Amino acid sequence: MNAATELVCAPETTARRLEQLLYREARLLDTECWDAWLALVAPDIHYWMPAVENRRRSDKLGAWEPGRGAYFDDSLRELSIRVARFKQPSAWAEDPPTRHVHVISNVEVYCTEHPDEYRVYSNFVNYRSRGEADNDLLLGRREDIWRHASGEFLLARRKVLITQSLLLSKNLNTFF
Amino acid sequence: MNQECSGECSPRLRQPGASEPLPFLDDLMDFERGRLSRRIYWDSRIYQQELEKIFARSWLFLAHDSQLPKAGDFLTTSMAEDNVIVVRQKDGAVKAFLNTCPHRGNRLSFSDAGNARSFICNYHGWSFGIDGALRGMAGKELFDASGMRPQEHGLHPVAQVASYKGLIFGNMDPTAPSLDEYLGDFRYYLDVLLDMDGQGTEFIGGPVKSVINCNWKIPTENFIGDIYHALWTHDSAAKAILGGSVSEVYKEDNESYHVNHKGHGWEFNLDTVGNAATLGDKEIRKYLYSIQPEVAKRLGEFRSKMIGSISSASVFPNMSFLPGQNTFRVWQPRGPGKIELHTWTIVNKSAPADIKERWRKGAMLTFSPSGIFEMDDGENFEFSTRTNAGFMTGQQDLYMGLGAGSALPDSALPGNVHHNQVNEANHRAFYRRWLDLMKARDWTEVPERDASRLPASAFNHPAPEVAAP
Repeated sequence: MNAATELVCAPETTARRLEQLLYREARLLDTECWDAWLALVAPDIHYWMPAVENRRRSDKLGAWEPGRGAYFDDSLRELSIRVARFKQPSAWAEDPPTRHVHVISNVEVYCTEHPDEYRVYSNFVNYRSRGEADNDLLLGRREDIWRHASGEFLLARRKVLITQSLLLSKNLNTFF
Repeated sequence: MNQECSGECSPRLRQPGASEPLPFLDDLMDFERGRLSRRIYWDSRIYQQELEKIFARSWLFLAHDSQLPKAGDFLTTSMAEDNVIVVRQKDGAVKAFLNTCPHRGNRLSFSDAGNARSFICNYHGWSFGIDGALRGMAGKELFDASGMRPQEHGLHPVAQVASYKGLIFGNMDPTAPSLDEYLGDFRYYLDVLLDMDGQGTEFIGGPVKSVINCNWKIPTENFIGDIYHALWTHDSAAKAILGGSVSEVYKEDNESYHVNHKGHGWEFNLDTVGNAATLGDKEIRKYLYSIQPEVAKRLGEFRSKMIGSISSASVFPNMSFLPGQNTFRVWQPRGPGKIELHTWTIVNKSAPADIKERWRKGAMLTFSPSGIFEMDDGENFEFSTRTNAGFMTGQQDLYMGLGAGSALPDSALPGNVHHNQVNEANHRAFYRRWLDLMKARDWTEVPERDASRLPASAFNHPAPEVAAP
């Protein structure tokens, strides 16, 4: 796409660091280290995963847009509430635990107009298994803004685009 | 209020010959003893007859008026497993058609929604107007030479389409009672959701569609009358968002009810904002309290206390909602052990934009596939279905007798009224209606157990007072 070719690649060391951070983030989610994952999130996070509609190419409304249906459209408050539920002993649908794998790939890191912020594209494969026969596969593309502050990178914005318009799962008991 | 389909369209929808009712239906439930067979969730013979005897002749939710503001606006949805196009006509009426080309049967529209001047089949390019009429095709002269009459090959219309205060329903059976008759006195309660201030409602934030591997009746039951599960199932969500447990509704000496009518049901108390409180957003509670006095003037003090109270409701057979959380959903059957869940958020049209947005996010955080409440429901729904795959498990009975003796026959409230919202009276009423329909060859054989008593004027409320300039 044209927009991508205009982007300026981040320095190799920064790109490498952010790529490693995405892998670490995936491991934190896979191992249910919810608080450590939440600590990667900026206070002004916008974490958005829109629902996808099938509309014709000529339809200006498009498959998704802000303010329409979404699975996540969260600030830190909502993310914290979700994490708080995961941690409750009475979260029955998490006990016995779900087994998670997040596979991250296609990582691209670009500079932005803000010297401390980087635009990071990545793809994910999320596989969840519960009990014996409950297996859920979800693939998607992510578009993040990671902010460098006090020596750490924090996730300031994430847009998650999944391929399914009809979610073939009963829930989304993880993050992406 | 109603927009009935013109009678001429009905013959284009060929009706099934009524199948013989299953011989074992009366063995499946015992209302006196509160007994329900697990076979209703798993037996594919029962499911096949449900498609015919429940879904092909009940009024099924199609769309909200607000989804189709302009002529040509359409959406595709399903009536059980039949995919349909619902489209706004030039005269403002709404029509619905099977979403299939009558030539060789291909699917016609592949869009979830949009605006169209015509629908053109991808296969051979047959073109249909938004009124369903066949407008043209490639090589028309060959069809003319074959004696084909285009006026006989329009889209297959849903036999009846009608609306109640913004909710548009369809019925495949031209002999079914009118929507007003079908909803009957339950409209008294529906007005709590649909007619708080005379300015109507709208859908936002949807649809969000997901799959749950459960029988369609399990979530319908859950919403028609099961507040009982909330205390246990939703403990984690309540603690996460409120910092405490779900209120112990069954212990409290609060005034609460199960009401049902013609198989529809609503369980509720009168705490005004109990459901809304689970969104953890005080602005929504403030909004509800701010409009309550006006709702009381319009619908009376009693109903004004239901606008966001601890409550849930289902309209027979598969439409449900939660006042206060404002999630609105349809459980679309996809075989005995699978559903598609379609959800929207319903709000008062007159609510401030900020309040609507808070509701959209609140419903998403609580009752959606990622919602902290729904997550635990999905597990329950799936395994209450799947356990019955066991042949011997499936032969066993379930208990459905909670609240025996709780009827309030002298209540002034419409419908069958039971005290205490922790109850299974609405479950029993739902299955009474289910059984009546499953045993009937046509609507004339459906017993009238719940005659409506309220006149049409009971649903025409005084116009809201216009503020002085």
